[in-house]
Amino acid sequence: MSAFIGNRNRLGIMIFIIVGLVLPLVFSAMPYAVLVCCYILIYLIAVSGFDVLVGFSGQISMGHAAYYCIGAYGSAMLHKYTGIPVFFTMLIAAVTATLVGTLIAWPTTKLVAHFMSLATIAFGNIVFQLVNTSPGRITGDANGLHTTYLSVFGYELNTYTRFYYFALIMVLLFMLIKYNLLHSRVGRAMLAIRENDHAANGMGVNVRFYKVAAFAVSAFFAAYAGAMFAHLVRYISPDSFKQTVSVMFLTMLLFGGTASMSGPIIGVTIVSLLNEALRPASSYKMLVYGVLLLFVILIFPGGILGVMRSMKEKIIQKRK
Amino acid sequence: MLITLFVSGIVLGCIYGIVALGYSLIYKASGLMSFAQGDLMTVGAYLGITFYSYMKLPFFISIILIGVIMFFLGMGIERGVIRRLRRKGVEPIYVVLATIAISFIIQNGCQKVWGPVMLNFPSIFKTSTIQLFGRNFQTESIFTVIASFTIMAILQFFMKKTKAGTAMRASAMDPIAAKACGINVNITTGLTWGCAGCTAALAGVLMGPLYGVFSTLGSQIGTKGFAAAVIGGYGNFVGSIVGGLILGLLETLTSGYISSNYRDIISYTVLILFLFIRPWGLFNERTIKN
Repeated sequence: MSAFIGNRNRLGIMIFIIVGLVLPLVFSAMPYAVLVCCYILIYLIAVSGFDVLVGFSGQISMGHAAYYCIGAYGSAMLHKYTGIPVFFTMLIAAVTATLVGTLIAWPTTKLVAHFMSLATIAFGNIVFQLVNTSPGRITGDANGLHTTYLSVFGYELNTYTRFYYFALIMVLLFMLIKYNLLHSRVGRAMLAIRENDHAANGMGVNVRFYKVAAFAVSAFFAAYAGAMFAHLVRYISPDSFKQTVSVMFLTMLLFGGTASMSGPIIGVTIVSLLNEALRPASSYKMLVYGVLLLFVILIFPGGILGVMRSMKEKIIQKRK
Repeated sequence: MLITLFVSGIVLGCIYGIVALGYSLIYKASGLMSFAQGDLMTVGAYLGITFYSYMKLPFFISIILIGVIMFFLGMGIERGVIRRLRRKGVEPIYVVLATIAISFIIQNGCQKVWGPVMLNFPSIFKTSTIQLFGRNFQTESIFTVIASFTIMAILQFFMKKTKAGTAMRASAMDPIAAKACGINVNITTGLTWGCAGCTAALAGVLMGPLYGVFSTLGSQIGTKGFAAAVIGGYGNFVGSIVGGLILGLLETLTSGYISSNYRDIISYTVLILFLFIRPWGLFNERTIKN
């Protein structure tokens, strides 16, 4: 587990960890706020993985909620029908989703960008329909599924605060995986593919393999996040896995900034807070998403992180 | 029962076909995919109700008004969003995302302006049903079939045989070369999106009496419209209608004989299969490489 983390990054990580540890204590009187923080952590895992796909290997998936869904329903159903402890069903569900992702990715990655988006939308819809009207009603169809808490080594995570700390550890773990992935041969290959896949091919990079690998990794992250979600709220229904969730992931990623570690953090936090702020006016939610997305694409395609970077450059320029 | 299902399938297929025509038009003439088409249809349907039902204007006037409004709406979207993005030189996928964002805005906007309740579109024709093969069908559905084939023929003729159509195709294939030939790429692209907006409007007005009008009318049909376009060959007008018919028949026959639950799954699976195995569709429409 090498970590080539410079001094500046080390400070950022310290701040992140300290804030993360302190947050539930700050909100100890408001369990709902801790729940929102849990959501943020879960979405952070999913969107970080999504960043590997979109930001680093330059592919698009507009049905990523499908893997989130497979993770959630997979873990809940496995636990319900086989009694395997939740800790393991979450992992099994994530691995299953990764396999499914690899299978779907194999023919999808050779498609042109806009056809890839169609294919991923179609896949997302297929998964949604399968859980909405499942054969033999094994997913509970529209009524959804109830499930139970996650227990870690016998310690049951039955309060939001306990789950929060577990989620924080998982976030750090997943971020570490992502960081090491990206600062390795694999990551560099993906960046090369993103910039120009023909050139990368010419340099001896196995383009197909890495494109599929990016899909697989992002599927794993999304599915594990989905499983976490299932055992946090303990009730899942097809409504939580519609096309709008896929677009939300995309909005979070693009708004925060792609191809970075901190971009997803910014994007997820802001959009989640927006979600909560819009709860009384939930009928306007789609409108706000649309406007936000349009804003980001039209005005700052690099997301908030892109804006920060260009501002920093301007300041450095001025100093000179 | 087979006859009823068959005719319903044809009608549904023609609706998908008209939507697919809009997609193909935009793709043929600007090389882009627009997810906003379905929702433009919704706007067309809502405008139809406003003019025809609330303001009691004659149907012919309503259609013309709607056509003009939607034409400018389509052009407006192109000029305000698409052109700006293309000038920036962003990846084409961002344009697709922008159209998705527009689709969200339109959907929610319609909900706010016209209310969340499903509205009723009154019958357009004096005779509300027509007898065919011994069964009764809504007049509008037969009209839809006729309209879709007509539009397809018009578009096919326009794109292949007229100067303006060829100019549009040239702008899509290679904007710089087209400009070098003296074609005003901006105007042709704007016109195309305007026409696509009109097509969407017409589809919406036709669908209103058949399905009722609600804010997600377009997006549900829209995604299926994509499937229709891909099956027939994305960008091919005859293919759009044929693809639509195939999809429509597949859906209604599946609903009728197997179960209506699996209708959507079948559509999306067919879409994915075509994308994976034969993305150039039934009519061999090669994609425009950027």
